[in-house]
Amino acid sequence: MSLLEERKRGLTDPEMAAKIMAEIPDQPLDTQRKMGYYVQPRGKRLTEYEIMTCYTQPTPDWISGGLDWGDWTQKFHGGRSSWGNETTEMLSSDWHEHRDPAGRWHPVYVKAKGEDWRVLQRFMETFSAEGALRTIDPVWRDEILPKHLGALGYSEYGLFNAHSSVLRDCTGDTLRSTFAFAAFDKVDNSQMTQLVRTFITKIMPGYDDSPAIGKKEWTQGAAYKSARETVESMWQDTYDWNEVMFATHMIYDPLFGQLVRREFFQRLSPAYGDSLTPFVLAGMQTYFQTTKAAMADIYHHCLDNDKNYGGFNRRWMHVWMEKWLPSTVAAMAEFMSIYATLPTRDGFTDKASIAASVNRVVEDWIVDYANKIDYKVDQSAMVATILAGLK
Amino acid sequence: MAISLATNAATDALALNRAPTSVGAQEVHKWMQDFNWDFKNNRTKYPTKYLMANDTKEQFKLIAKEYARMESVKDERQFGSLQDALTRMNAGNRVAPKWGETMKVVSNFLEVGEYNAIAASAMLWDSASAPEQKNGYLGQCMDEIRHTHQCGYVNYYFAKYFHDPAGHTDARRVRTLGPLWKGMKRVFADGFISGDAVECSINLQLVGEACFTNPLIVAVTEWASANGDEVTPTVFLSIETDELRHMANGYQTVVSIAHDPAAAKYLNTDLNNAFWTQQKYFTPVLGMLFEYGSKFKVEPWVKTWNRWVYEDWGGIWIGRLGKYGVQSPASLKDAKKDAYWAHHDLFLLAYAVWPTGFFRLALPSKEDADWFEANYPGWYDHYGKIYEEWRARGCEDPSSGFIPLQWFVENNHEIYIDRVSQVPFCPSLTKGASSLRIHEYNGKKHAFSDEWGERMWLSEPERYECQNVFEQYAGRELSEVIAELWGVRSDGVTLIGQPHVTKEGKLWTLDDIKRANCVFKDPLA
Repeated sequence: MSLLEERKRGLTDPEMAAKIMAEIPDQPLDTQRKMGYYVQPRGKRLTEYEIMTCYTQPTPDWISGGLDWGDWTQKFHGGRSSWGNETTEMLSSDWHEHRDPAGRWHPVYVKAKGEDWRVLQRFMETFSAEGALRTIDPVWRDEILPKHLGALGYSEYGLFNAHSSVLRDCTGDTLRSTFAFAAFDKVDNSQMTQLVRTFITKIMPGYDDSPAIGKKEWTQGAAYKSARETVESMWQDTYDWNEVMFATHMIYDPLFGQLVRREFFQRLSPAYGDSLTPFVLAGMQTYFQTTKAAMADIYHHCLDNDKNYGGFNRRWMHVWMEKWLPSTVAAMAEFMSIYATLPTRDGFTDKASIAASVNRVVEDWIVDYANKIDYKVDQSAMVATILAGLK
Repeated sequence: MAISLATNAATDALALNRAPTSVGAQEVHKWMQDFNWDFKNNRTKYPTKYLMANDTKEQFKLIAKEYARMESVKDERQFGSLQDALTRMNAGNRVAPKWGETMKVVSNFLEVGEYNAIAASAMLWDSASAPEQKNGYLGQCMDEIRHTHQCGYVNYYFAKYFHDPAGHTDARRVRTLGPLWKGMKRVFADGFISGDAVECSINLQLVGEACFTNPLIVAVTEWASANGDEVTPTVFLSIETDELRHMANGYQTVVSIAHDPAAAKYLNTDLNNAFWTQQKYFTPVLGMLFEYGSKFKVEPWVKTWNRWVYEDWGGIWIGRLGKYGVQSPASLKDAKKDAYWAHHDLFLLAYAVWPTGFFRLALPSKEDADWFEANYPGWYDHYGKIYEEWRARGCEDPSSGFIPLQWFVENNHEIYIDRVSQVPFCPSLTKGASSLRIHEYNGKKHAFSDEWGERMWLSEPERYECQNVFEQYAGRELSEVIAELWGVRSDGVTLIGQPHVTKEGKLWTLDDIKRANCVFKDPLA
């Protein structure tokens, strides 16, 4: 019979179905019907996220938590292994311990982001119908958004690319999906910075939505030199996948990323009549908070508290703090120079407001990140260093 | 600060034109090639001997949010069918027992391939320099996560509803027990992620996905449907919609390296190695699962293979790449020979070691035997007689104490495992093309079953020095190993694997296996 012809189905063809039913036992052959019953649940019972994700990584038992045995069946040229403990300085008693607090497996993740897209498209239709663009300050619209929202897009795009080797090398399945979703959010963020400007072009023909202005600012502007070099270094100079993620999500993004997204664009946009940018950035902030909780589970709950290696891991996290914090703080200080280019707005662009803004970012970071691993930071000194960049 | 005249004019015009407007995905995507920037150390962490072009485009031009929306719509359809219509029809249980067992293997082993393809796509994303090309690989990375979870969901669904949940519930833990596992890792895991990034792309996208996903993901749905399984088609056909993106990625990989004259030096050798690697496992294993793991047959595997692998892939697909210097693999003609008998050879061995499975196997019934003989003349004289002898000795009945593996020992039919492919073979009993070759390296003997794998070994033995199950457990008694690798059901004594699927047949326990006193032996020791 040709494959294109109608074929009888065993479920619906009466004769075939009868033959199948005749072979099926009256009682099941086993009473255990829970897939992954041997998986240690984080909560009281296994979630679908845990069932779908846990132990999909086929690592041998010499990588902690692995269920397989023996060697790799094919290795890199020269004999390097497919996955290995040597790919990170961190040690774990079980690389399968991490759980994403949001319980994201693929359908959960894409459903949420797909909804975000629909909401955003409806918002854009409303925004344009209301002519809301008319309220945006021209300097903010024509100078700040192309330059600095554009530059933010490059920062986000670089962070996105820092995840590629992490997704290749990391040694656990729940880790891999968390890192993948974080990566996807980052490329999404970079695309959304472009969307804001492309949207303005559509309702205001003649507006230049090319990324070239932001790219020039990111690659040549003094305001982004340290930020760019930090991102480049995380992306291409760093081979330890935990170090890449720790530097990205535990240092750079909660400091520089939050300063730019939340304290610059989110806080200042209303002052310049811009209700578009904060709406788009609200999505990014949702992703940031979800990622933050997932990364806290990896680096605080699992690796810092590891029953065998917690102390060892904390020492490495402190080393990474020493390595990545100075360039991140320098990036924040350099970013301060942008405030001088803004039309002044009382309560937004004055020094006291900016200082309060920087203080919020630093304080949040100390409470949510540094203190969790007992890393000592002088908040006043750090804020002062950043504010020294104000022109 | 002044604003431009154009802007002023546009702002004025705005008051007159307030039509609801939004932005489409393509309007954002068109800027993507500009998202990159050059810097000193901008190079991949996974070097390749190929040179990937900086301006390579992708065929599926998606942005993240649009990708999510599209996949979410597919999910709604798939989960709607599974959780509503199919559940109310009790479709998860109304599946031919043999096929329900087959899906324990198919779904879980495909899951491993999908999972490793996440890492493989990430490596390619790292290796590519063009943002659009990176974006194509990223989309695949996300797809592979989707497929991993979808494959898991098939096992999850059958675990809930199929009449034998054991094996569906714990495949991820018990799968390492059987001799088919390491070979599966070679083609579906390490072959995708360990090597030159482009070589891995050739393995994953140009061969694994463009060649073998058609028989694996599409043909399997026809076998499933014939055998009462509508769960698998619901999920696998949804998977297949994404595979087109992956085939396009493979095509674009070749496009991206084709400008480099040096590529011609390596490309066809890498393609030939990748094809042989993949076919060495998939050709016998898929044929075996379809033909021996089903009650109702669709068509002889050799025909399926010929249509999808030989004609569609080796001819049409590779033909399209001919303008880039790609040629059909030299090993294709040898693979064609394997497509006739290799799966019959493999089932003989798989049944002989049934206690190491996480699924129940069944000897061919009279109806099956007639079908085999009609489609593979000579089948009965070589294989059918052996199965009759095993059946007569009570291989299905625990009280017989007879495991067919013992028959191999009694008749001096030594079973080896090919070092490069990790596929078991029996040189004295094979009707396919396998023949024994042994090499010594690093103070150890290594067996090979064909010339192509032997060549790979001789070029780079350090890549394939992986111990096999016979070496790992040499000297250990079979029931001990089964217990150690979780090969028992929830009562702690009954094996997951069984040599029959009949309602009346008794189930073997660890004690039954122990009485047979089978001990793992390394034939090369």
